[in-house]
Amino acid sequence: MFHFILADLRRNWIGALILALLIALATALGVTVTLQERALRLGSARAAAAFDLVVGAAGSETQLILSSIFLQSAPLPLLPPETLATLRADPRVQNAVPVGFGDFVAGYPIVGTTSDAVEMLGGLGEGEGFSHMGDAIVGAQVSRAIGDSFHPFHGAVGEAGEVHSHVEYRAVGRMAPTGTPWDRAILVPIQSVWATHADHEHGHEPEQTAGLAAVASVPHDHDHGPGFAGEAVDESGLLHTDNPGVPAILVKPKSIADAYNLRQHYRTETTLAVFPGEVLTRLYGTLGDARRILGFVATGAQVLVGAAILMVVAVHVLQRRRQIGALRAFGAPRPVVMGMVWMEVFILVAAGVICGFAIGYAIVRAISGYLARNSGVAMPVEFQTADLWTLLFLLAACAAATLLPALIAYRQTPAQALRS
Amino acid sequence: MLALSVDGLQVRYPGLPVPALDLPSLSLAAGETAALVGPSGSGKTTFINIVTGMERAGSGRVAWNDENIAGLPEGGRDRWRARNVGLVMQDFHLFPGLSAEANVLLPQRLSHLRLPAGMQPRARELLARVGIERPEQLVGTMSRGQMQRVAVARALAGRPGLIVADEPTASLDAESGAAVADLLVELAQEAGSTLIVASHDGRLIERMGRTLRLANGRLAA
Repeated sequence: MFHFILADLRRNWIGALILALLIALATALGVTVTLQERALRLGSARAAAAFDLVVGAAGSETQLILSSIFLQSAPLPLLPPETLATLRADPRVQNAVPVGFGDFVAGYPIVGTTSDAVEMLGGLGEGEGFSHMGDAIVGAQVSRAIGDSFHPFHGAVGEAGEVHSHVEYRAVGRMAPTGTPWDRAILVPIQSVWATHADHEHGHEPEQTAGLAAVASVPHDHDHGPGFAGEAVDESGLLHTDNPGVPAILVKPKSIADAYNLRQHYRTETTLAVFPGEVLTRLYGTLGDARRILGFVATGAQVLVGAAILMVVAVHVLQRRRQIGALRAFGAPRPVVMGMVWMEVFILVAAGVICGFAIGYAIVRAISGYLARNSGVAMPVEFQTADLWTLLFLLAACAAATLLPALIAYRQTPAQALRS
Repeated sequence: MLALSVDGLQVRYPGLPVPALDLPSLSLAAGETAALVGPSGSGKTTFINIVTGMERAGSGRVAWNDENIAGLPEGGRDRWRARNVGLVMQDFHLFPGLSAEANVLLPQRLSHLRLPAGMQPRARELLARVGIERPEQLVGTMSRGQMQRVAVARALAGRPGLIVADEPTASLDAESGAAVADLLVELAQEAGSTLIVASHDGRLIERMGRTLRLANGRLAA
């Protein structure tokens, strides 16, 4: 029986291959939609997992999360300086680190923060933390070696900006990989960011411009000179209010209860406190709708391909009625003939479906790899138990659908088949 | 060893006023050889289909050794045919992707869960007997004469009590046709099988013990 099926498939291998390929591509379409959406969701959730609570100035919650966790640069209003000082002194807070953006170098965002942020993000991979104004810690994916120097550009990633030629950073450490956009970030002391921008944004009204580009009123040394980079970082300033403030503060509360307390406490008219998870959940809701629509489209395509293939197979079986009739004439029992036709079609379809899962997986791996290189968000591409059920369900559906050509074969009497 | 006895057989097709086959009475002794002749449309194919159980007899009795196959359901006729009939057809019905040996064994493989013991050596023996030297050769690469000889070996593999050949030499050249005719007659006699051959081939017809002449579905004298 298998002999015969294999011989028949081998003889019609081009047609069989094309059928299996069509089924594989239709299946891959659906698998890609599911896996990619999951990879995006898991990847962004894991990227946000290190951050319990984010505090920013009143404004858009989504923008706050996108900017502070996913480092998508966008102008954010600044928090008043006392917020950081208060948070760092708060007994419910284990750690509160400021994040200030506005500059980049070669496509990598420069993030002004404090040295304890490194520990919060997963620690150093090599080198050391910053202790001077000109020190920088590069993310795991940043193509700068320890010891390299660079000038920051003002502006956002991807835009032409003005070079801060008077400021020079030198990489002193590299963070361990985190699988988050922070792998593409360059961490520098927040004080140096304040100083850099204070210098060149002179005269703007802080309320009207945003981000650290808005820094205007810090007392600072206009002529940084060679001594600037060598100045020691003075973190005591963080507890004072004589700084321009920051757009966002990442907070690690001591307990879950503290987290809810703090969130409550900082939801005021001027400040905003959010759990990244709640914002992401909202985003996924939107994403989920898109996924459902894509899912319907993919399912529709699969059904159409499936129907077309069933037609082709049915026609093929009708064309083979002489051969099928001959098998019966030579004494093959009807169920055997039916089983053979069914199995031959099912082998093709099942091979197509299984290949489709593999192809879909490969496509999502490729897309996710590309996205991860560009965003830093590691995207876990993984099958879950639910996918196994989907696969089994698909195979069962195929098994049922391929009964159609088998039934056509079943209904042919040997005499009918030979007469044609 | 099968003997045929037909009583009151009538086969009608919808839309045709006269029966396609009308045999009030016919018998063949076990081991007898019979040629079935007549113009096309005379009912030869219908006769073959009925006596091999491939088609349902409308009315009447078609008994092989007292087993009335006209009374069997389709599955029962299939099983009876698998056990008792070896078929040789005009256009061979060999399966091109398979070797000569696999073709000979195919009906056995399909009608038994496991290949009956001793069947493989028998297939090789039969192939050697019909002059096929390489049992592993794919039938698609064979000449028509060789293919029909493989088909003869296949018909004999299950030691059938009845061998039915439908125009076995019609699509072969004279030389191959003669070889196939020889093999059919010799092998049927060796096995003691009843042989029915529908043919227009005069040399094959005259080697049969008896000639059944059909015209318009009836036996002519």
